[in-house]
Amino acid sequence: MSPQNDKVTRMFVLGPKAQLSQSELVGKLHMLELPLTIKSTCYGAVIHGEEKDVLEAVNRIRKLDPSNIFTKDRGFPPGDPRRCRAKRGAAREGFHQLEKEYELLEYVCDALENPEKVSLEEPGKVTPEDFKKIAQECEK
Amino acid sequence: MKIAVFPPNSLILADMVERRGHEPLVIQKEIRKKVTDPEIDSPPFNITEEEPIKGLKYAAIEVPSGVRGRMAIFGPIIDEAEAAIIMEDAPYGFGCIGCARTNELSMYFLRKRGIPVLEIHYPETREETMEVVNRINTFLDALEKPDESGEDGKTDEPQEAETKEQVEE
Repeated sequence: MSPQNDKVTRMFVLGPKAQLSQSELVGKLHMLELPLTIKSTCYGAVIHGEEKDVLEAVNRIRKLDPSNIFTKDRGFPPGDPRRCRAKRGAAREGFHQLEKEYELLEYVCDALENPEKVSLEEPGKVTPEDFKKIAQECEK
Repeated sequence: MKIAVFPPNSLILADMVERRGHEPLVIQKEIRKKVTDPEIDSPPFNITEEEPIKGLKYAAIEVPSGVRGRMAIFGPIIDEAEAAIIMEDAPYGFGCIGCARTNELSMYFLRKRGIPVLEIHYPETREETMEVVNRINTFLDALEKPDESGEDGKTDEPQEAETKEQVEE
């Protein structure tokens, strides 16, 4: 068996407005012909392999629908008996978080497609003098 | 730049950071080192008595060993971070489940480091989410890119994808 230390796992999560389905995503991943372990899931897919192959797959798959395909790292390999639902029953650890974040992905997609520049500065407080001036101007 | 995100396993934050060509420092990478290590000391997580000792760097001896053990995993992320995005008020189940004190301590250390920190609140509505995403993108754009090669215009998605690819190459 090859050492697992240099292998990484990535989750692909499809947003609600994604232009492709989970099965299409898995099909596209297979079509990349990279040496990866690919697992279809309810939210998208999980891939496992050498870091360079995984990153290449991430880059190429993202291009299919840039604002609707989200990825994140995963610590455990796919099908790991310590995490896999098939072995232990009930929801996988982390699933509830993913479920909660999934609710926001539609809005994240909207924000990515319609970017706006915003200021990071916190609005300052109005001094009493300025407030008086504003009040006086309003009274006029 | 290496950006620490908090909650350290957030999909949205990690994805946003990566889209802008930075490297997200996430807890999964630290966990992976533990669970795929061939030296299995104490299955299933390989958390040994060494971890609370390593955690002493971040928390005093009086602090529960659970916090110190967790800090041994969070610690490298905090030390490595060059910037941070902290999302507060995340629902229960985000980050380190069952240990609010570890979360507080981690956020404290990130703020204390003196690195650029963006503080946001967990969004609940469409408007809040769009505001948060725009704030994150503005913050990330203001940071120094790890690789500034070639032309970069990042006003829309296809261009972002190209920038990402350039960075990865």
